[in-house]
Amino acid sequence: MYIFTSFICQNAFSRGSTTRPRILALTLPLALLWACLPGAARAATTATMSAAFAPDRLGAATTVSFNFQIAAGERAPDLLTGINFRYPANLGIATSGLGVASCPVAELEAHGPSACPPDSRMGFGSALVEIPIGPEIVRETAQLALIAGPSQDGYVQILISATGESPVAARIVLSTQLEPGDLQIAVPPIPSLPEAPYVALVRMHFTLGGNLTYYERVHGRNVAYHPVGVGLPRSCPSGGFPFAASFAFLDGGHAQAQTAVACPRGR
Amino acid sequence: MRFDKSVGRTSSRRGHGPRERVLAVCLSSTLAVIALAVAATANVAAARVLNVRDEGKLHFISSSGSELLDEGPAMGSVPGKVRVHFVYDGNPAVSAKFTIYGHSGSISGQANARLSNPTSPAPSFRGAFTVTGGSGSYAHIHGTGELFGVFTRRGYGLVVQTIGKLPY
Repeated sequence: MYIFTSFICQNAFSRGSTTRPRILALTLPLALLWACLPGAARAATTATMSAAFAPDRLGAATTVSFNFQIAAGERAPDLLTGINFRYPANLGIATSGLGVASCPVAELEAHGPSACPPDSRMGFGSALVEIPIGPEIVRETAQLALIAGPSQDGYVQILISATGESPVAARIVLSTQLEPGDLQIAVPPIPSLPEAPYVALVRMHFTLGGNLTYYERVHGRNVAYHPVGVGLPRSCPSGGFPFAASFAFLDGGHAQAQTAVACPRGR
Repeated sequence: MRFDKSVGRTSSRRGHGPRERVLAVCLSSTLAVIALAVAATANVAAARVLNVRDEGKLHFISSSGSELLDEGPAMGSVPGKVRVHFVYDGNPAVSAKFTIYGHSGSISGQANARLSNPTSPAPSFRGAFTVTGGSGSYAHIHGTGELFGVFTRRGYGLVVQTIGKLPY
């Protein structure tokens, strides 16, 4: 697994503001204090997750949505360094017809998802990050695009491009490999303001499939079509389709979350 | 034994009487008969090897998650209809179970292959198959072979070529 990050950092305080030294003076000791506290001494970081199919019909093509949230009470959440998603291995993600082209990582990093072939788009989503600025925590929403990357060793690579604009303008590209029942996402440290703590990822939502338009050559012409999406198995395990995630944090801590999508009624 | 040019027949260094010569002729004849019988048996066995070089163009029938069911005509040494359960769960090591329904019986087996270039519209795969059973004329068929194919991700179609020698 490899991670590529590119940052275009701008901020409201970078244009000659006199408040910057004061903010930095406040931020740095707080950040050091936060980093030196042992994990057990602080409120435990907890994680919750949910998953959903739409439409929710056995044997049919669907979209799969994941949500997760990390909470640490009143304080700033721990810095997330990795997520390991586990999903039912017989879910038809590889057979979904999503991502029938690939996007070079460098292209995605430099120019964003719009520079990638439309047929490489596999899904979309959003992420909420928190940026500690002095005593305050500023929130920022980043747009996610799930893009098929160049394959390595025959495995499907899914690139997750996260683009935020304000107050920190940044784009990071995460790379993950689709394996049966398993999706591991490494989250790099995301810098924010100079000498300020890293950005903390606290919420993420993404959907595989959805309203995507692909193109195929038919008799020499490009014809648009919608990929069918992720195939659901015809049978549902008792207790529903299980999903789980484990979250790793910079301080060595971990959090677990699990959920199940209830079996559809009928059929 | 050596060849005696002067008399145009074989003779031993030490020489033999008429009784030994009769015995030698009998033994040679017996060995020849046995050899012929073995050869005949081998020919029969050779006749009962199915030299497979087939191609199936399959279309999508149904799916259940990561498993696809495809069917279509098979052309080549066992013409008929082929039905394939193809499993691709993200691992490039794909697997399939298949049954070919020919005029003289059916042939069933399983296959394992490695898929390459999974984000192309039509990834190719290559691997091996093992025949696990049959019916009719192929009731005792067995053996292994190679397979090559293409998986069309847009419509879930499969094109599969098989090569092998299958005794039955």
